[in-house]
This record gives sequence, C-alpha cells and structure tokens, in this order.
Amino acid sequence: MWLETVTSSFASFIHAVQPEHLSKTVRDRSKRMILDSIGVGLVGSTTHVFDIALQYCRLYSSVAVSSVYGKPGVKLSPTLAAFTNGVATHSMDFDDTWHPATHPSGAVLPALLAASQMLPPSTKPNGMDFLLAFNVGLEVQGRLMHFSTEAHNIPKRFHPPSVVGTLGSAAATAKLLALSTAQCAHALGIAASLAGAPMANAATQAKPLHIGNATRLGFEAALLAARGMEANPLILDDIPGCSGFSAFYSVYQPKPLSTPSDHHEFLLEKQDIAFKRFPAHLGMHWVVDAALSVRNLFINYAGSFSPSLIRTIVLKIPVSKYINRPFPSSEHQARHSFQFNACTALLDGEVGLSSFTESSIHRQELRELLDKVVVEHPEDNVANFDKMYGEVALLLHSGDVLTGKCDTFYGHWRKPLSKESLLKKFRSNASHVLQEEKIETIITMVDNLENLSDSSQLACSL
Amino acid sequence: MWAKTITGNFANVIYGLNANHLTDQVIQRSKRMILDTLGVGLLGTSTEVCHKVTQYSKIYSSDISSTIWGHLDFRLPPLYAAFVNGVAVHSMDFDDTWHPATHPSGAVLPAVIALAEAFPQKKKISGLDLLLAFNVGIEVQGRLLHFSNEARNIPKRFHPPTVVGTMGSAAACAKLLALDQLKCKNALAIAASYAGAPLANAATQTKPLHVGNAAKHGLEAACLASQGLQGNKQILDMESGIGAFYTDYNPQTLPTLQSYPWLLGQQDVAIKRFPAHLGTHWVADAASSVRRKLVESSDNLLPLDKIEKVTLKVPEVKYVNRPSPTSEHEARHSFQFVACSALLDGTMSVQSFTSKNIHRPALQELLYKTQLEHPSDNTPSFESLYCEVSVTLRDNTTISDRCNTFYGHWRKPLKKEDLEKKFQSNASTVLPAEATEGIIETVYNLEKVEDCSVLSRFLSGQSAREPSQKLCFL
Repeated sequence: MWLETVTSSFASFIHAVQPEHLSKTVRDRSKRMILDSIGVGLVGSTTHVFDIALQYCRLYSSVAVSSVYGKPGVKLSPTLAAFTNGVATHSMDFDDTWHPATHPSGAVLPALLAASQMLPPSTKPNGMDFLLAFNVGLEVQGRLMHFSTEAHNIPKRFHPPSVVGTLGSAAATAKLLALSTAQCAHALGIAASLAGAPMANAATQAKPLHIGNATRLGFEAALLAARGMEANPLILDDIPGCSGFSAFYSVYQPKPLSTPSDHHEFLLEKQDIAFKRFPAHLGMHWVVDAALSVRNLFINYAGSFSPSLIRTIVLKIPVSKYINRPFPSSEHQARHSFQFNACTALLDGEVGLSSFTESSIHRQELRELLDKVVVEHPEDNVANFDKMYGEVALLLHSGDVLTGKCDTFYGHWRKPLSKESLLKKFRSNASHVLQEEKIETIITMVDNLENLSDSSQLACSL
Repeated sequence: MWAKTITGNFANVIYGLNANHLTDQVIQRSKRMILDTLGVGLLGTSTEVCHKVTQYSKIYSSDISSTIWGHLDFRLPPLYAAFVNGVAVHSMDFDDTWHPATHPSGAVLPAVIALAEAFPQKKKISGLDLLLAFNVGIEVQGRLLHFSNEARNIPKRFHPPTVVGTMGSAAACAKLLALDQLKCKNALAIAASYAGAPLANAATQTKPLHVGNAAKHGLEAACLASQGLQGNKQILDMESGIGAFYTDYNPQTLPTLQSYPWLLGQQDVAIKRFPAHLGTHWVADAASSVRRKLVESSDNLLPLDKIEKVTLKVPEVKYVNRPSPTSEHEARHSFQFVACSALLDGTMSVQSFTSKNIHRPALQELLYKTQLEHPSDNTPSFESLYCEVSVTLRDNTTISDRCNTFYGHWRKPLKKEDLEKKFQSNASTVLPAEATEGIIETVYNLEKVEDCSVLSRFLSGQSAREPSQKLCFL
C-alpha cells in the first residue's frame, strides 16, 4: 500500500482500466479516429519524408514483423515500423487534432499496430483490448495536457505531440503488453526522458518525425520497462528543484487520476476530436471556410472570380508566429500559412492534396493574390482551437467590401464530419496505395473492432 | 562563407574545421578524455542497466554492425551500439564533467566510434578523423552551453547531456560523414527534435539512458540529414528552437576558423576518481582529510561511537541531497552517503556503491547523524563550489576540513599515471591485458593511426594479434 502520488495514480489507471469502462460514445469516437488515422497514414506513405524515414529504418530490420503503411511487401522491426508509420501519419499535417492541442492518434496507433504483430499467437490481444489500449493512450495525453493552462493555447515552445504523445504511446503500449502497475509507472518515467521537441521544426520536413518519434519512443519506453528498467516513480509529480515532466511547462499543476470505477469518464466523452478536410494545420481550416464563403459572395457580385477587382485581402487571425507566413516556399511552410490557404481557397474554390504541390505553390496567379494580403490580429481572436475564428474580407477597387467569417469549420468538434464525409476522406486517402477490396476490409474491421478476435489482423491488412 | 544565421554559422564551422586547427593542448586533453571514457564505458558494461539495454537492443540486428565495448560475442547496428555503449559510459556516473556543466564525452565518443566502424562505402577512417570529429562534438556542446546563463549552474530542469549532448553527437557524426554545410544545418535541426530529458530521472536507473540516447539520437539525426531530411535551418537562432530548453537564451556566432580557439583549450574537463556525481568529489576529499585527523588522535581507528554529529556545508543541489539512499543510483547522488563512506573507509572507490556497502549498519548509523547546511556563499556551480565537513564528537570538540578543489578537477587535473591507473583498473574488469594496453597505445598515438577500426577491435576484447590487425602508424 503506497502513498498516492500523481504518477502512481496514472500507473494504477493504466493497469486497472477495463473494456467495460469504455462508453459507447468513446468507442464510436475512437473508432472514427482509428479509421481516419489509418487513411491519413496510407496517403502519407506517398511522401518524400516518408521515403527517407523508411530507407533509414530498413537498415535495421532484423526482427521484421511489423507492417508499414502502403508497403505490403515490407516489414520492419516493431519500433521502427511505429516510427515510419508515425511519420507517414503526420507527413502532410492531415491527422486529427484535439483540445487542448495535440495530434493524439498518430502518437498512439502506429505503436499499437506494430506491437500487435510482435506478440506471439497465443497472447494476441483482441479488438477490444486494442481499442482499450488506444483509449488509454488518448486519455493519458488529455489528462497530462490538463496539468498546464499553457496547454490550452496553440503551442509556442514544445510541440505537444512530442511531449504528451510520447507518454500516451508509452501508456497505450504498456496497456497492450499488460505490464504491471509498477512497470506502467516506469514506462511513463522512461518516456519522459524521451519527450520534448521544440516548435521550430514545425513547418519543416522534420515535423513529421515528432509524431514518428512520439509513437516509437513511447513504445521503446514500455519495452524497456517490461524488461525491468526503472525510472523516477514521481515523474509526473511536482518535484521542487528537480524537474520531472514539469520541465516542459512553465506552469504545472498535476492532479491524480481516479482509479477506474463504474463511473470513470474518459475525456473523449466530453471533448471530441477535429478531423481535417485537407492536409494543413488546423488553424487553416477556419480561414479556408471563411474564404470559400466570401468567394461565393464575390462570384455572385462579379459573375466570376476576378482577382483584378480586388485591391486588398484582409485576414483576421489569431497571433501565432509559426502559421503566419506571407510567402511560403515549401509544402511544409504552405501547410502552415494562413495567407496561402486563404488565397488558394479564393482562387480554386477548394483546398486539397494537390494544392500543396510544387507547381501549385509557385503559380503566378497565387503569388499575385498573396501580394494583396494583409493580416490583422483582433484582440478577441484568441490562439486557441476552441475559441478562434477566421475572417476574410475582400476590399475591392470599387470601394465595396465583401466579408466571410467562420467560427466553426466543418470537421471541428462542434461540427463533426458526418460518417459519409469521414468515409469519403478515408477512401480517397487509402486509394492512393491500396486496392478497393482492401480498403473496404479495413473499414469493416475498424467498424467492428470490438468483435475482432485477433487485433493484429488490422495491422496485417494495411 | 559568411552565414547570416547562427545555425548557418555553426554549420560552416563544423564543415570548415580540419585537423590543422587542432592545437597541441586540445589534442592532449581530448585524448585523455577519450581514454577515460573508454575505461569508464568498459567498466560500465557490467552494470544491470547496461544488461537491460543490451537485451532490448538485441531485438534489432542487421548486416551492418558495430562493436559493443567489452563484447566479442555479439555486435549491434551502429545506432544501438552507440546507445548501449553510451549507457555503459554513464551507467555509474563515472564519466567526465565540464564547465558549464555537462558530460561531454559520453554523448559523442560512442557515436563516432560506432559510425566509424560502419561507414558507408566501407571507407577507412583515420585516427585523426576520429579525433577531429570528437573535438567538433565537444566544441559544439560547449558553445551551446554558453548561450544561457542558466547553464552555468548545476541544472534543475533538463539534464544537459540530453540537450547539448544530442547536438554534439549530431555535429560530430556530421563531421565524420563529411556532410556539406546544408546537411550540417539539418543534422543540428533534426537533433534538436530529439533533445531534452527532465532532470528527475537523475539518481535513477534511467539516467544512463540520457547519455546513451544523446549519442544514438545525434547519430540518427546526422544519418537522416545525410539522406536529405530537412529541418529548421535557424534551429539555433530561434527561441522556439534550441531556445525552448532554456529560460534565457542568447545565441552567438562562433569565432572565425583562423587559429580557431577551441573551448577545450581554455577550459579542461574534470575526471572523476570514483563513480558518483561530481559534487560529491569535494565532499569525499574533505571527509577523507577529516578522517585522517580523527584517526591520528585515536590509534588509527575511527571512533564511531564518539561521533555526535556530522555537518556538511554544501551548495543547495536538491537532487544530490539524499539523507538515506537505498539504491546505488541514489547513493551516487548523495552528499551525505559519500561523506559517511569516506569517513568510514578513508577513500571512495567503485566498491563503495555495492549493495552490501550501501546497507551496512555502521554507515546507516553515521548517516543518521549527518546534516547539511547551505552557506549562502556556496554557489551551485562546479567552478566555484566548496565543501566543508565537520565532525563533532561527544566531548564537543570539532574536527573540520574544507575542500575547494578536489584532485581530478580541472584546476587540479589527474596526473598521467593516475589517469592510466583509473583506465586500467576499469578496463581490466572486462578486457585482457593486451587489449587494454593496445587501447592506451592507440589513443596516445591517435593522430597517427591510419585506420581507427583497430581501436574497436581492442574494445571488443580481441587479444590475438593477427598480421592484419597490427597498428599502422603513418
């Protein structure tokens, strides 16, 4: 019987939580996340950054048992498969986003898929075990983010997936591997020493590694804990003069998790996820919807989209340096540019995968529009995914002003994607690398995940 | 080539430094560091933490492989060799310490040695190449530490080897791989995303992984950069780059390459005489001295039952303040433990930290009587701290002594004989005499070694001298 510390409460939760504790809402929401994450990973396997990661990992592929998205003939060792698939998932910034801000699924799913293929046939976790472990990974991430008010806003210092994602992955894999309570605590502790990447690599080709490493290193932490490695048992607690997990935050107030009883409420119950409709930073989705709305107005006004009539484009956006880029020069920068996404939406009437190709990024008509953009930061536009809005105003040479505003884009948790829209996104993504039959198999498998007798079948079908 | 950013400047320097820039002083000091690090690592292969990471790493074996120090029976891919050997180096907290504070060699040496063995296109790496890359790795760490005032004191938030060590490893490997300026920048950028572990895992079994991971991840970053992966080319310039790990961050450009002023030339490292946190070395010297005075006046026996209390005047360093440590990792991070051990035994050694010695009743008794005081003039910096040990007897007499500079500190460096003695004592626990002598000879003549893989062969314990393994001097 030990003193209840925050760290030990997390360990107890991870160890003791059971499938019965998952409510229907949580199960449904998490299955949607799993499907979207797989689809995003599949299309991500066509990217350049993915190629580099895969090539690198193939050097070390001896115990090659785990599948790689979009590469049916290729297997890698479990943690490197997790790494590669994590990179794929975040390669286009197309993966889910939560509140407080992080990309939760990409940090957890690849590790679980890889781990499921690693375990011997006699101990293969079933679909329910898998779904439970996935939710443990999400829950731990969410709870950790609630330890700091800093986490509620769009990040400035450390990229959240690299902080909470690593521990989420450690928790999820510890659960899947059925580690003891003490081992769960150590997995979290070891993972903390593998967490934390600076924001500066967002909007670069290295950003996808943040998710790749979160899922891989969290997995590694669990594997080390399983082998008896020990870390600080107070890693999540407040340790004056010697930082634990608090090192990543300037304000840190940890709280214990209640041991799961009949009424444990997962955060996913109260707070759903946002799914992206196009592969760019979440903030872009507001300005795009606002831009599409004003574009319609403009077409009604002028008969067609005539850029020459526009004198200035005013964007009203929150303050966030790493997504404010007037003239992005790479796809990674373009995915993190309010200006680029607004102008693309105005010009094309939509934003999709092809909006971020080299030729699309550098086209003359787009540059001309970008030249007309000015940015404003209204005080009421907070850098927070729950509260921000996007407004696009077209100031015409004629003196007329047309405005479009978006408070909640379609796909945000307040206006979730319908089942049809989600499936459409998945099919569109998966079809880049998989045949129709396989695509439908995955959809059915995820939909019936609780009834799957051997969850490694999911990984094998990728 | 003049760079507009500090990151670009670092890349230019990493790229532009060559063997001619190495001064005699720097060569001499870095060879001492290399020798000490190898010895400490070899000894460390016998630790439990090292066994665990080895077991783990064996999951991943491939065609390309590098030596695991002290092992002839198996090899690992370079990434995991760097990891395991790095863990070995820091497993007992026996490795070197610099100012500003970090453990510089353990983050770099395992990575460059592993990489040199598994070089793409089977290219031969000379001893001089290795020595240069090593020094680039040390230099980058030192320069980064100077970007923050916070770094001057003993850390509280992030464990320095995990921040600057990862960057140093990336720089060293980038140098060895002869990456161009652009790829050097990217290596640094990618490495930053692996950097940073919280201090709370110090004094636990996970701490050695900090150095292992620094070596491993720096190597990985350089390899990924070599394959064309790109990151933020202003990673050292931005507050949201490496600045994320510090509360005050002021990056500066490096000096010009002309007669390059290496930091190691201006500031030597401290080499430890026993395997514990550097702060405890002051305590040990002061306590040993007090003990000598005590036994003089009582027939060469420590008058244990006459001791009323033991007072230690030390700087305030929370993670080394442990009144009753229960594990070896805690004991290595305890002012109190080292003071009492040194009082009891007269000297500290590897043996001081065995389970038996940690739990002996005489020691427990003495620990119970020990208190810490934190004088305000005792700053928590390895450059300026001191330790005073006072033993008060039942008759109210007090015997004290103070240590300002322990033997092994950069102000009082270990003599050559003592450095070698430490190495031999460490290395001989796992290697035959021929191999340990071979390592000493190779390191002392490193600049002249044609193919540094000979070092790796000795490290694996190969003792039979086949014609192809003869040391080749230029």
